[in-house]
Amino acid sequence: MAFPHRPDAPELPDFSMLKRLARDQLIYLLEQLPGKKDLFIEADLMSPLDRIANVSILKIVLLGQTPHQEYAIHCHFMHVRWCLRKRESMEEGDQRWINTVAQALHLLSTLYGPFPNCYGIGRCAKMAYELWRNLEEEEDGETKGRRPEIGHIFLLDRDVDFVTALCSQVVYEGLVDDTFRIKCGSVDFGPEVTSCDKSLKVLLNAEDKVFNEIRNEHFSNVFGFLSQKARNLQAQYDRRRGMDIKQMKNFVSQELKGLKQEHRLLSLHIGACESIMKKKTKQDFQELIKTEHALLEGFNIRESTSYIEEHIDRQVSPIESLRLMCLLSITENGLIPKDYRSLKTQYLQSYGPEHLLTFSNLRRAGLLTEQAPGDTLTAVESKVSKLVTDKAAGKITDAFSSLAKRSNFRAISKKLNLIPRVDGEYDLKVPRDMAYVFSGAYVPLSCRIIEQVLERRSWQGLDEVVRLLNCSDFAFTDMTKEDKASSESLRLILVVFLGGCTFSEISALRFLGREKGYRFIFLTTAVTNSARLMEAMSEVKA
Amino acid sequence: MPLASLLVSTSDGPWGSGLDRVSSSEDSLRNLSPLQWKSGPVVSLGWSAEEELLCVQEDGAVLVYGLHGDFRRHFSMGNEVLQNRVLDARIFHTEFGSGVAILTGAHRFTLSANVGDLKLRRMPEVPGLQSAPSCWTALCQDRVAHILLAVGPDLYLLDHAACSAVTPPGLAPGVSSFLQMAVSFTYRHLALFTDTGYIWMGTASLKEKLCEFNCNIRAPPKQMVWCSRPRSKERAVVVAWERRLMVVGDAPESIQFVLDEDSYLVPELDGVRIFSHSTHEFLHEVPAASEEIFKIASMAPGALLLEAQKEYEKESQKADEYLREIQELGQLTQAVQQCIEAAGHEHQPDMQKSLLRAASFGKCFLDRFPPDSFVHMCQDLRVLNAVRDYHIGIPLTYSQYKQLTIQVLLDRLVLRRLYPLAIQICEYLRLPEVQGVSRILAHWACYKVQQKDVSDEDVARAINQKLGDTPGVSYSDIAARAYGCGRTELAIKLLEYEPRSGEQVPLLLKMKRSKLALSKAIESGDTDLVFTVLLHLKNELNRGDFFMTLRNQPMALSLYRQFCKHQELETLKDLYNQDDNHQELGSFHIRASYAAEERIEGRVAALQTAADAFYKAKNEFAAKATEDQMRLLRLQRRLEDELGGQFLDLSLHDTVTTLILGGHNKRAEQLARDFRIPDKRLWWLKLTALADLEDWEELEKFSKSKKSPIGYLPFVEICMKQHNKYEAKKYASRVGPEQKVKALLLVGDVAQAADVAIEHRNEAELSLVLSHCTGATDGATADKIQRARAQAQKK
Repeated sequence: MAFPHRPDAPELPDFSMLKRLARDQLIYLLEQLPGKKDLFIEADLMSPLDRIANVSILKIVLLGQTPHQEYAIHCHFMHVRWCLRKRESMEEGDQRWINTVAQALHLLSTLYGPFPNCYGIGRCAKMAYELWRNLEEEEDGETKGRRPEIGHIFLLDRDVDFVTALCSQVVYEGLVDDTFRIKCGSVDFGPEVTSCDKSLKVLLNAEDKVFNEIRNEHFSNVFGFLSQKARNLQAQYDRRRGMDIKQMKNFVSQELKGLKQEHRLLSLHIGACESIMKKKTKQDFQELIKTEHALLEGFNIRESTSYIEEHIDRQVSPIESLRLMCLLSITENGLIPKDYRSLKTQYLQSYGPEHLLTFSNLRRAGLLTEQAPGDTLTAVESKVSKLVTDKAAGKITDAFSSLAKRSNFRAISKKLNLIPRVDGEYDLKVPRDMAYVFSGAYVPLSCRIIEQVLERRSWQGLDEVVRLLNCSDFAFTDMTKEDKASSESLRLILVVFLGGCTFSEISALRFLGREKGYRFIFLTTAVTNSARLMEAMSEVKA
Repeated sequence: MPLASLLVSTSDGPWGSGLDRVSSSEDSLRNLSPLQWKSGPVVSLGWSAEEELLCVQEDGAVLVYGLHGDFRRHFSMGNEVLQNRVLDARIFHTEFGSGVAILTGAHRFTLSANVGDLKLRRMPEVPGLQSAPSCWTALCQDRVAHILLAVGPDLYLLDHAACSAVTPPGLAPGVSSFLQMAVSFTYRHLALFTDTGYIWMGTASLKEKLCEFNCNIRAPPKQMVWCSRPRSKERAVVVAWERRLMVVGDAPESIQFVLDEDSYLVPELDGVRIFSHSTHEFLHEVPAASEEIFKIASMAPGALLLEAQKEYEKESQKADEYLREIQELGQLTQAVQQCIEAAGHEHQPDMQKSLLRAASFGKCFLDRFPPDSFVHMCQDLRVLNAVRDYHIGIPLTYSQYKQLTIQVLLDRLVLRRLYPLAIQICEYLRLPEVQGVSRILAHWACYKVQQKDVSDEDVARAINQKLGDTPGVSYSDIAARAYGCGRTELAIKLLEYEPRSGEQVPLLLKMKRSKLALSKAIESGDTDLVFTVLLHLKNELNRGDFFMTLRNQPMALSLYRQFCKHQELETLKDLYNQDDNHQELGSFHIRASYAAEERIEGRVAALQTAADAFYKAKNEFAAKATEDQMRLLRLQRRLEDELGGQFLDLSLHDTVTTLILGGHNKRAEQLARDFRIPDKRLWWLKLTALADLEDWEELEKFSKSKKSPIGYLPFVEICMKQHNKYEAKKYASRVGPEQKVKALLLVGDVAQAADVAIEHRNEAELSLVLSHCTGATDGATADKIQRARAQAQKK
């Protein structure tokens, strides 16, 4: 089952305009410098540049007469800039890209009209929003009287929800990203996928018909879907038999090329699936997911902690271990001091002392913290643990922490019903809520917030959640009485993720859109996943 | 348009000027003259494309004056000229701007293709040139400036690399010298006047002859210029002697005029202007529409319509007759169009009016005549008449105006400080504010700030009153101008009106108000701008002040830290020191211990400093961890010395593993004890290492050393991973009951796994085993499980 848009889903505005604009800007910049140019492009820049201007366009621009001039171009494209700055901004928690986001929003509003409804949450979201408003005021008049093409805009700061970004992804596109790393919408499939000795760069978008049908699917359905597809394809090939010459001619000239193309894509994605399966079973993926779900639901914390410890002791993967530690910390509102110390010690022993700095980074970002004394009954617990064996102490801790003040995530999770109550198996083939992107275990917090606010058209009634998110000062709504907005445009929603979004979140919102007749447009400073998040925090010995 | 004249020589810009402006030009001349006397004789005068007056002096200095006689700047055409003097100079126009070419006393040429971006180019020598060339000119071809010169019967083309002799194709024989040469406005055509009274006309590339003419006058002409003929596209050259003017072209006959006074010719886009002391004439091809209408006894529709309208005003019925005549031929539309077009080419408002009236009259009898052309012509003529007024003195022709565009015309008005007229034109034409009124107001403001006799407050207030919040006005530009005039205080006052804080920053920096600039940059939210200011401040202030400034600006501080992390690590340390940020200092030294230091002593010392800092920061965990690392580092060093191999920089875990892999089990145990490695980790570690070595004997011994803290399933798993089923089975029997089934399945003993699962009566285990039952071999087992299940359900 793929996700076709509902027949009544609103049409998207013409976004190819943005691409043309960026390309024209690049060409303009290059033409500012007369003469022939040798262009040195950093490898990291190639992918984003390729999305707006391919080599043939650049060649045309660069034709000139005088040799021996070398220029490094200073790119002014938001996308490029974001790619370059992502890492740094994560590290310092500084907001260097906020201005860029504000300018991007300003550009969008000049192209597609004003946004009648604005919502946002998080510190960066508010800062970007205010800067954007300033820009609009400075140049007012330009958007006045324009008919809005996009009815809602939602700005969401990544800080608000790190949990979702830290989870293992299980929808196809997310898995491909986790496994192979999607860069600017394209992915390098290695020889293990292409089943020849060359790597292949594949553009993953709606043009790829096979991919488009499975990108939002839970991985467990993908294999079945692909094999069904393969059978259909075979059947179409088989139609050749018994064709007369004319039909055959028709078949070859009209259908064969499409079939061959589909065939190629199909075998690529089957290869990717195999490769993913191999990797995921090797690392005891099921165990890992089980632990994650336990952390999200908040049961068997002691067991999960031991699992993480074992994970570290066995040197399974520095990034994965770190991710689990962070997930534990956020869901539990910080680690209890004993675990905080021992997990860090274990980690340093396994992966080297430079990670002392990694922990410092994580603490600053609020991803890995120690519970403040009084948060739990640590003192009592440590006394008790002296009297009884380790195992018993663990059980007692669990009991105590259930009595103690619940962490914010738990409270939010309960308020927003993030852990769906499941009677029997969650049918992943027929998802009933956004939780399907995490195998039915958890509704992404970020997406739930967006859903709730859109439903209420404000933050009304969500005060408690906002307070728990520590965002009381950073949640805002701005509605203009805009009669001009068509009902069509009011079902278009631009979601802006500041600090990155994951493919799982995109899939979840697409599902929501299908259920409610919305259509979501995504703008993000980066597509992220747990590994990228952790790598940005990790100290690397040069 | 402006005209400058000097005692003997006269020169002019690309556009001729109204005679009526001469008097005002003379005003500026009067200002200029004393300067010239001081600076030495002037060889040539000319206007740049930006309407600046360029005066080329004999000593090679070029003085640049503004339109109002204000001295702007000066530059030199090279040191060589000082000695040799300038014999002759030309000012020419290229697509890059305006250029100057000079001929020195040593008969060498030097040119600059753009005086705005001065690059002198000394042209190569002309071989055997002993005296000045009889005539020469600057040529522009393929975006490169050349010099064409005539020496006796020879022509030479100079480019920056070489001097080449050229011959015009089809030149009549008997030429012993060229007296004049003229290049067309577009540099496409060239005309040569020889001492035989013969005129050769061809392309400037000298590849093609267009036509020739013999005027039989051997006296050297005073001037020769091309006359563009936009309508017929034919070529014509105007040659002037003292009292005679001759127009020649591709025809056997020439047209001759008598000149009453000394005159000067200026070639223009659509004709030639002829200036004399008392007159200003424009020689041009008669436009088609005008010819049709005003030709004697013309029966063209436009002529008839004009006639009809005149009769109509006289209330004569002839009007109807004329009109009928046009209508019968179905030419009324054409007639109206002709009248509109002809009106555009008229200079007298009366004549313009009567032609437009005729057009309007004709329009009444047409059903659907689009009004645009009529309306636009009325507007254009109104603007043209306004600027042609002798107070303004810009006598543009209609075609010139169209070529120039309204924007450029406005610029020229602004340059002449004719702000009110410019604004009236903008308002009349309803130009958008940003392009029109506000732009002109901004220019006015820039002029206003130069009035030094008015106080800062008054100027600022006056400007703000006029400009208000007009969109498109940049207060920072005006402020920049004020600063340029040395009025810093006024500039700061004006900046306060600037709504975009980002725009204020560059100027504030320039005015050395860096701290203010910093807060404005932060206000703007543009981090690039903040960086710019920071780097500026860093150079400007001493270190202490700079840090103090940062302290009050958290955002700037955080950005600067970021910068230091990549560029200046030492500064980063100082910053942390200043803030007593011991935690970050500790981190800094940790990084130094592996990134900056190489020797082991240095590394340990860095770690010691880090540990001390962590203690100060009350981060005991980090301090202890650092001390452990110091111990480990020393130990690794010793291991390397004693055992050889690579130990430095391994983690504790990897150090122990390396020891085991190297067979140093005792050392490994010692290390584990010293660093209090937990039992669980040690077991995992040993298990993995021994399996890697495939030392099954040692592994078995190890497994029996005491009860495994990690159970025995990992032993099974790791043996299977190494494909050693035999060893795996040994451990499977020792796996505890909870994981027994899993272990048995791993070693492939499905039957026994089934037995255990049935014994446990565990549903999950049963299904797990069942899922491992494959085909025929395990058929019996599967049945057994099914039976057990059924039995369980019965109970």
